[in-house]
Amino acid sequence: MNDVAEGEFKIVFTGPMGAGKTTAIAAISEIDPVRTEVANNDRMSHEKASTTVGFDYGRITLPGGGVVRLYGTPGQPRFRFMWSIVGRGAAGAIVLLDATQPGALVQMDLFVDAFRPLVPEGALVVGVGRTTEDGALNSDTFASRLEARGILAPVLSVDVRRKADVMLLVQTLACILETQNGNAYA
Amino acid sequence: MNAAMRPSRVPRELARKLLETLGDVVGVKTVVLFTADGFEVASHSAEVGAPARIAAIGSSLSALGSAISAEAGLADFDCTTIQSVNGTIVITRVEGPHAMSLAVVADEAVTLGQLLWAVRRCCTALAKLMNE
Repeated sequence: MNDVAEGEFKIVFTGPMGAGKTTAIAAISEIDPVRTEVANNDRMSHEKASTTVGFDYGRITLPGGGVVRLYGTPGQPRFRFMWSIVGRGAAGAIVLLDATQPGALVQMDLFVDAFRPLVPEGALVVGVGRTTEDGALNSDTFASRLEARGILAPVLSVDVRRKADVMLLVQTLACILETQNGNAYA
Repeated sequence: MNAAMRPSRVPRELARKLLETLGDVVGVKTVVLFTADGFEVASHSAEVGAPARIAAIGSSLSALGSAISAEAGLADFDCTTIQSVNGTIVITRVEGPHAMSLAVVADEAVTLGQLLWAVRRCCTALAKLMNE
């Protein structure tokens, strides 16, 4: 079970800068999350004031008693070296995307391709934010893209500021893991 | 990296000259001044291409240093030393308005005490430069 004790496992939130990884972990973590955000000097690429350069860390306890360690990766490809470090030993990954960002589908491909080799087969969920905003792609577009590439992964429309939405992503991933591994992840 | 991404008021050429002084320390191979979000500001290196990656990784280590310092109830990150089998890496925060750090890579010929003293002296000079 990926080097973690039974009943306690690690999942990774990943995705491009500004997709809401830090916000998602903060929304559900039962401990004060560890953050490694610093001032963002690259305002040409993204208007965000801050950016994660190490990792985020939080923790939740599932209704069945399972403990989930939540890790968030940096979103900028310059910090790709952190992806495999953070992804090591993960039971699954949640790829977060912003449907209004140009190239969101290409970004999905980048992160899905980077993390599929790091997690067990099929242990991947995609969460797409801001799908209701003007000019945004809808979640079906992301699902179709994955399907066309022969990748089986649930795609959910989410608002990462809402605890219920983020928990839905985690529980969807937990269901996949439970199906694959019995009830050790419940 | 596009120059527009860097803090605009950093005198990069003067900073590079200060980094060159560390190159005089026996064993020092690469010196990189970088922003908190991992952009190389100035460097002095024997290896082409290395400074940009060292800047990115160095910023992660600085941020993790700050995180574990905060977790332990200590003051903010100041310096970390990584001892490898055949060398040493020192990452030190540079005081000033731009939230920068300095990474120095040295091989086994370096004397740690001498390196730390030279790094501290360079950081003091860089901090003075940034505040001018």
